[in-house]
Amino acid sequence: MQNKLSFHQSSVSLEIIGLPDYSNNESKDQISIISQWKLTIIDKPLIEGKIEHLGPIMNAFYIYSNLLVKNKIPLYESKLIDIKAENLHLHNIVLKSSKPNVKPLILKIGNSLLSDTINCFDQLNESPKVRIKKTDVNNNIPKNLRFRLNNKVKFFNFIVPPFIAICSLILFSSSFIYFYNPLEYKEKKELINP
Amino acid sequence: MRTITVLTKGNQVSRQSIEKLDLLLLILETIDLNGIQSLYALANRLDLKDVLPNKVTIWKLRNNNPLRKSYVNNNIKVNEFHALIKVTVEMSRYLYPYIREILKSTEDLEENSVIWSDFNNRFIELIRERFNVDSMRVKKLLNQSENDEIIIKSLLTLSLCISNQGCQKLKNFLYDF
Repeated sequence: MQNKLSFHQSSVSLEIIGLPDYSNNESKDQISIISQWKLTIIDKPLIEGKIEHLGPIMNAFYIYSNLLVKNKIPLYESKLIDIKAENLHLHNIVLKSSKPNVKPLILKIGNSLLSDTINCFDQLNESPKVRIKKTDVNNNIPKNLRFRLNNKVKFFNFIVPPFIAICSLILFSSSFIYFYNPLEYKEKKELINP
Repeated sequence: MRTITVLTKGNQVSRQSIEKLDLLLLILETIDLNGIQSLYALANRLDLKDVLPNKVTIWKLRNNNPLRKSYVNNNIKVNEFHALIKVTVEMSRYLYPYIREILKSTEDLEENSVIWSDFNNRFIELIRERFNVDSMRVKKLLNQSENDEIIIKSLLTLSLCISNQGCQKLKNFLYDF
């Protein structure tokens, strides 16, 4: 008997079907071995697939939405899914089938459905009842934030200013080499007054 | 340049980050007519009394936004900034159905133009009331034909931050200046 879990957000629902991993002493209602998933968007064709497709599709949505809100070019392309902004309000999704001779499924969704879909994925990621390879949150964090989170900034604040100061002192003082050379001056003086 | 900015900021928050966050809060206030009271009530509910003890403190912190008429550089601290982020995420959660409806109305302006135009008019009213209208960037926010991209992306940002990881997501967005 397979377990079924659903995550809903307004016009979108995500259904996960699978079994618990009894070898890990998991409870009956847990899902660790996902056999099937279905993404239902109202007024759009049903999207379903195997577990190996769910991760890349979720990642594609996360990366695309990140690009969108950060004012970067909103375009995501992969072997399985392409997402591209048609305009400010519409997004084109092309789902490519892994089976030969199957035409790609093309969907057009607006911002409201995009946010519903991502919120469904968030619910899945945060659900304690489903164990999937969680989307690596750290990958979405920009480097400068990772800096702050790791408290490395304190170390850099401590070490960088004296380092820059020493370097600039060396650079500045080395320029004086061209101005005055005592030996050269002495030789010149000897040549004038032997 | 980015590295230098991060290194010199220490325990402070950049102007761009507070500017973005204040704009998001203003959008939430545009939706919720009693927004200031709601922000304060949520701060209390989230046990943020130490950082945000009253409405005046919230107002003072938001005045760190250089686009405001009453801009004062109080050097907002990271913990104060994070408290405002928590309140923003919590309020987005409550207002998600409205945020979604406004986003949906922009997709089909012929059918739902009233929702969008009401929202946009009130947003412009609030901007006029609180922001320095002589600034070029504020002028762009006031222009109805130019402000839609900024508003839609801000609404989308709010709608994507309603999960338990919402605070982290919003921090990620705000720090990426």
